[in-house]
Formats: sequence, C-alpha cells, structure tokens
Amino acid sequence: MSINQASFEEFRQRIKQLGQTVQPVEGLTDDERVKRAKQVFLTRIHSAMAVDMESCIHCGMCAEACHFYAQTKDPKYTPILKVDLLRRVYRRELGPQRWLYRLFTHDITAQELEEWQELVYDSCTECGRCSMICPMGINVSAMINVVRQGVAEAGFMPDELRAVEKEQKEHGTTFGVGPEQLTAALEKLAQSGIDIPINKDKADVMLLISGYGVNITEDALLATVKIMNHVGVSWTIRTDGYECAHFGMLSGREQTLRASTLRVINTAIACGAKTVVTAECGYGYTALRWEGARRYGKLLPFEVLAISEFMGRQLKAGKLRLKKMKKKSVTFHDPCKVGRIGGVLEEPRALLNALGMDFREMADPPQTNWCCGGGSGVFLINRATPLRQKAFESKRSAVVNTGADTVVVACDSCRMTFEIGKANAHWDMPIESLVVMVGESLAD
Amino acid sequence: MNLLDFARGPALHWSLIICTAGIFWRLIGTLLIPPRIKLSVPRRTDTWLLGLRAIETRSWPLEEFHNIIRFQHYSGYVWHISFFIVLFFFQPHILFFKSLTGLSWPGLSNNIILITGAIAAGTLLVLLVRRLTHPVLRKISNADDYISWLVTMLPLITGLIAFAHVGGRYETMLALHILSVEVLLLWFPFGKLMHTVLVFPSRFQTGASFGRRGVRA
Repeated sequence: MSINQASFEEFRQRIKQLGQTVQPVEGLTDDERVKRAKQVFLTRIHSAMAVDMESCIHCGMCAEACHFYAQTKDPKYTPILKVDLLRRVYRRELGPQRWLYRLFTHDITAQELEEWQELVYDSCTECGRCSMICPMGINVSAMINVVRQGVAEAGFMPDELRAVEKEQKEHGTTFGVGPEQLTAALEKLAQSGIDIPINKDKADVMLLISGYGVNITEDALLATVKIMNHVGVSWTIRTDGYECAHFGMLSGREQTLRASTLRVINTAIACGAKTVVTAECGYGYTALRWEGARRYGKLLPFEVLAISEFMGRQLKAGKLRLKKMKKKSVTFHDPCKVGRIGGVLEEPRALLNALGMDFREMADPPQTNWCCGGGSGVFLINRATPLRQKAFESKRSAVVNTGADTVVVACDSCRMTFEIGKANAHWDMPIESLVVMVGESLAD
Repeated sequence: MNLLDFARGPALHWSLIICTAGIFWRLIGTLLIPPRIKLSVPRRTDTWLLGLRAIETRSWPLEEFHNIIRFQHYSGYVWHISFFIVLFFFQPHILFFKSLTGLSWPGLSNNIILITGAIAAGTLLVLLVRRLTHPVLRKISNADDYISWLVTMLPLITGLIAFAHVGGRYETMLALHILSVEVLLLWFPFGKLMHTVLVFPSRFQTGASFGRRGVRA
C-alpha cells in the first residue's frame, strides 16, 4: 500500500507554512551568540571526540562519501569542514595545545555561526556515511550534531525545525498531535473492529508512535497495531508518553530532548513495560535505544527495539507468522539512524525474505547505504529542497540500479523524503513501508 | 663545535626530547578530557576486539569506496612505504639507530634506496600538487598541511643531495640533512604528523563504538 496521497499533500503544504509559525530569534548580541555556542561546544566535547579532532589528516575522503558533495561537487559540503567551528573552539580553549592555537587562530564569530547553519542543517543528515570512509576512523557525524547544538543555541536553527522543536518543548507534541488527537485516531481505527489497548495500567510492551503516524502514515499505525495483536504480547499505547520523534535531538536542543526522552521513559516505567517499541522513526530509535540511558542517568529498566527489530525477533521466535505476498522485486532502504547508526540491519532483510520477496540488495551494503537526504529534519527545511533533491539522486540511482520494482523503507521521514523526491523527479517507483507490508501479510 | 657536531649533538638531543615530551603532552592532554560514559546496553560486548579489528580494517577502504578513493589510498601507501624503506633500510640510518638503541638489521643497497627515495619525494610532490589543485583539499587545508609537507620533504631532499655528494661539502650537507630531520622531530607533536600515533586510538574508538551497536566499522 502506498502512502495516502491526500494526507501527504496536505502535510507538504503544512511544511511550507511551518517556518512562518515562529518569530525570528531576536535580542541576542553577537557576543551572546558566540558565548552560548561555545558553552555548548565545550560541555559536549569528550575525550573520544577530542581524539577525533586531533587525528584528522585533511585527506578529504569524507567528501566522497557525502551525498551532498557527491551530487554538487561543492567543496563546502566536505563533512570535516562542517565541524570546523567546533574544532577551532576545541583547539583554542580545551585542547592540549590551546596556548599555541590562540596565537595563530581567531575565535569563532556570530557571522560564522550563521553561515554554518546551512552546512550543519541543510546539507547534513548526520547519516554517518563519512565516518565509514575515514581512514583515521573519525566519527564526523557525531561532531556535526554538536555543531548543530551550538548553532541552535546561538539562535540560528532553521525556522521549520524551531517551530516543531518549540511545539515539542512547550506542549510535548509534534505536528499538532496531542493525547486527544491520538485517542481520536486510535478510536477511529478501533471502529474497524481492531482491539487497541490504550492506556493500560500494566503491559509488557509499550508502543511509541510519532505525530506523522497520526497525520499521514496511518497505514503504518494500523499495521503496527495489527502486528502487536497478532504476536499476542501484552501491549499498550499510553497517551501520557507515546511520542517517538525527538525534535530536540535533530534540532540540537538538549533540554527538549531530555524532556521528551524522560517523558517516555517514565511512562514506560509506570506501566511496567519490559520492552519499548519505537515506530518507523529513525531518530526515535537512536534517541531512546542508544542515548536514552544517558538522559535517565542509569541503565534503562526496559529494552528498546525498533519496530523492524521487534518484528524480526518475533519472526525468529515463530510468533510472527506471515503469508507470502505476491512475489515482486524489492530493494530495502536502511534508515541511517536505525541501520548504520543503530545497528538494525539483518531483521528487515529477514522479514522481506519471509514475505517471499525477490529481494535485491543495493550495490552498497547495508552499513554504507546512501542516505535518502531527508534525515535529521532536512526534509522539513524548505530552502533546502533543491539541494536535498540533488542529494536524493544518489539514493535514487542506487535504487534504480537494483532493477527492483518497489523500494521498501522503515522510517517515516525517509518515507516522506522518498515521496517528495519521487514527485519532484517524476519518478514512477512505488515506495512501501516495511511495517505496512508485514501488517498486510499476517497469517490467520 | 662545527655544524655537524651541533646537528649530531645538542640539536639531536633536544629535538628528541621535545618530540617525545610533545607527543606525551598532546596524547595525555587529549585523553584526560572526560570521556562520555555509555550507559546503554551494548549489542556486542567484545568491543576491545572490535576496536583492535578496526585498526586493521581501516587500513583498507571498504570495497564500495575503493573506486572513489583509489588515488588517495594507493598514493598514501606508496608514500608511506617508500619513506619507511629509506628511513629504516639505508645503511647509514641503520648505523644511526644502532648508536641510539644498540639494535641493527640488514639494509638495502644504495641503488634501491636512491630509487625509493626518489619515489618518496616524487609522490610527496604529486600529493602537494593535488592538495593545491583539488577543490576539496584546497578548501580544507591549513598551514599545518603545508608545514608538515615541508618538514617531511626537507629530509628527503637534503638526504638525496648528501647521498649524491652535490651542493657543497659532504659534512655540511650531512649536517643540513640531520638538522632537517630535527626540524621534523620538533614539528611532529604540534601538527598532523601526530597521526602516526593518533591513528591507533582514533580507529580503535570508532571500531569499538560502532561495534557495540552491532555495526562493522
């Protein structure tokens, strides 16, 4: 099943208006902007990051792995260049040779922070592919995220991301989906006779969904509910802690990320969940699975699984029983945050094979799969659309070269990036969600 | 004290001290920055092994990247190998290392060293031209790149001149060669030549970090 085109178009129009819903950041002097950014940089740098910053040999290989450089050949998109402000602050203020660097380098400026907005937001999805090519093994994307945080703190976050981040910070919602909207959407699904255990006091599995799931990917929400019921676990969706997306993380605002993460963690603890399953949402998985414990301050008392990982495990355990679908050739797009960054690489392939698909791997193996170009909120930044569309070409070529009839995705923002990219490129390629395919193939 | 005595004596002595102290200063200063504690449950726990493995695997580009970085990869190997052959297998260098450490090993013939030295210098020159002309490299290069290039090239050039007995008295040329090596030693801990040391912790930590998430790196 393809995405609901009417909802999708409505959402696209909404994105176009998103930036107009927030006021510009005013009242900050240049000195304050620099001070705020530097404070963020200096508190986020840790020893591994310092080793990375000390190790770069300026070989430029990282550019070759970046879809923004690959498609434009503009050297300003070289990944390591995007961390230059962070590296300069580190070298001047924290590194072992700061006394030397202070003599020969100048401090960062507000103008540079503003200029870097395009480099760390519009032209970087933090996909981590550059980290896979670096001969020194430098984790470039982790550093770019810190630059994002500094640029955001200086007041230079793109308006569209600021709008959603502000909404999540102030209301705990994304794209206007609060407890009432979620309840209404779930009740609508329940009308078709599906049992949806909302707000159970105790459950083994707690499901997280995103605002997208209610707005435009209702098919994925419906499929997920069916799958949960099918495998027979005790599960729930809680209206006091359901949001999978963390706009604090991708926009670079730690306070917002901490609040949204802790809300989910505390809800899961309250209902005694042993497992928390994240919807098809790349950042949602990384934020909770790999970063959640840090915000909580100790080991999480539950396991965190991406929905594809959860389905893969249930398949292996024999609890997820699938009918073979009508055979077609498919390829799979790994969401960077779930695949290369998150480590969920095998399960989606196992599921597609179980569905009887003629599965065709792209030329690049899963861990170095091209990013779609829309991750980390880039697909929401309107001015980045032409650049993102160019970057999308790397992915489109990889898909086309497989000869597959359909591309399967497992992340809502990838799905929307594909849909937008497909429409802009007049590309006739069905885009399907993995969870929807599984949900439609449950054996009786 | 003539120039050669100075080069072989106090200059060598102090450049070695400054180089060694500088390496430790930079390494310790970097590693003393507080680490980021990872509290999440790892997908794999053999992170030490995965880190060590990354030191080896990052020596070769992944197959999917091979074609796009072929030049950087092979030119890097040609440069490093030829440089190390000249450094460790030229008979006078072996005698120098023996005087420092008491250890010695068989060397290569002068002709092989001469050719290898010329290859090393030629490769370095090509890499400089590339850095000056490639848009990405030009954009990301800074003074460190050019200083590091210069202090690495100088010992090769002065060594080849001394070896060929041209350009002046042999003792003077030899002194200049030794002094150029000492300049390299003095710069080593301050610039990107430190990658010789940093390559190990850098690759290790990425291999371990990606590995604990279950990703080959």
